Amino acid sequence: MTEPTFLGFARARGAAGVRNHLLVLSIAGLTGPAARRVAQALPGSRLVCMPYGGGLIGADQELHMRALAGLGRNANVGAVLLIGSDLPKIASLSQAIGASGKPVESVCLDDCGHDILTLSDRAIRVGAKLHRDLSRQRRLPVPLAQLFVGLECGRSDPSSGMAANPLIGKLTDMLREHGASAVFGETLEWLGAEHLLARRAATPAVGHALVQAVLRREQLATRQGVDLLGNNPGPTNIAAGLSTIEEKSLGAITKSGSGPINGLLQYGEQPAAPGLYAMDAPAYAPESLSGFVAAGAQMLLFSTGVGNSYVSTLAPTVKLSANPVAAQRLCEQLDFDASAVFRGEHSIDAAARELLERIVDIASGTLTWGEVLGEGDEVVSRIGEAL
Amino acid sequence: MTQAAQPTTPTMPGAAMALVMHPLDDVATTLRALPAGEMVAIQGVAGQHDGVWLRDAIGLCHKFALRDIAKGAIVRKYGEAIGHATQDIQAGEHVHTHNLKSSRAT
Repeated sequence: MTEPTFLGFARARGAAGVRNHLLVLSIAGLTGPAARRVAQALPGSRLVCMPYGGGLIGADQELHMRALAGLGRNANVGAVLLIGSDLPKIASLSQAIGASGKPVESVCLDDCGHDILTLSDRAIRVGAKLHRDLSRQRRLPVPLAQLFVGLECGRSDPSSGMAANPLIGKLTDMLREHGASAVFGETLEWLGAEHLLARRAATPAVGHALVQAVLRREQLATRQGVDLLGNNPGPTNIAAGLSTIEEKSLGAITKSGSGPINGLLQYGEQPAAPGLYAMDAPAYAPESLSGFVAAGAQMLLFSTGVGNSYVSTLAPTVKLSANPVAAQRLCEQLDFDASAVFRGEHSIDAAARELLERIVDIASGTLTWGEVLGEGDEVVSRIGEAL
Repeated sequence: MTQAAQPTTPTMPGAAMALVMHPLDDVATTLRALPAGEMVAIQGVAGQHDGVWLRDAIGLCHKFALRDIAKGAIVRKYGEAIGHATQDIQAGEHVHTHNLKSSRAT
């Protein structure tokens, strides 16, 4: 049997991209509005704006820099146009992203006489050249082993845990057999199921870390006097039939398949070797997805129950639902209908093989509905107060 | 990997209206909205279950009790605890936030 491949964009270092985006990355809240004008002037570019950036300290600052560098380094990004206000920060990020071997250009307010119009003008000119150069690159066959997928669920209902997530889990097992990698997160949604994850940890230390991570989130809630009911599961989950966090978690963790869990990653942390990883991260999809993309995931698999339109702007996000009503109603938003699996009319193995074909097709260039509709964004977490 | 964490969605005949994920489960999940007063055909991972007479109307993807559950008892789905009953629950009753509560983060 020939090795399975997808058509990707080879990179100077590391895995191939499934897209070849010019990323316009505004790293300071000050330059966001100008960066939006720059991205508008460069149709087809991808805009990511950090709404903050000054006065960050400690672990919050580390997370911020790690995530920004990771978004820039993601293999789907062919070139980066960095826009910022302060020279040391932009230089540091330029170096961190440039180490991946991709073109990085920086435009800084401090270098533009503090004149935002000069900055916009320079950025458009530099960005235009980057974008044109990117368009010269062609897709080539790449081993499926280079794929790294992030696994997410959002606006879940019981069909998510009973069919859509086990389907993603089956796909994850198949991808791992081909040498590809995967990451799942949403730590709070391990609560009540952490003993099952810990049993699959590659080492006792990883198992301990998984359990500690979820206990820390549990304590975060109890210390604040938060009743998880109404928060997670949220009102939409509850209306759709999910009753407790345990029920939601037991369904959510099936996305990770059945293989060993090789490590616990911090938010946005890139794994050192191929494998299946857990990421200690918030459960809210926009933050969670950007954590995966910063870690290097080129594609995201996102199950929903009643429907969830949100996607990453950098990584094609494959939406699937097993809810028979949602699958019919949201046919231009869901990339894969898993309702036949829920109804028992289609075996999970057969559906997983179809889904793998769809993944390879999307990795090779076919657009997801989220890309067609432009529902993408990137939202980087915060974990502390700024000075 | 345990059976509980990797439920295998069964292939079921068209007649099944609800799904049970594990032999230890106290609840079934509907595959479509069901009216009260109906005898429900139930499919489980380990084969066909006895039918249950519904005491409540149950919305799509909502749960009902397969057997009587005493107040305070652990309620299981996927073969695992999903919380405890906050009141006595009779077979065929809707099981949701009004009679089932998380046992975590309390």
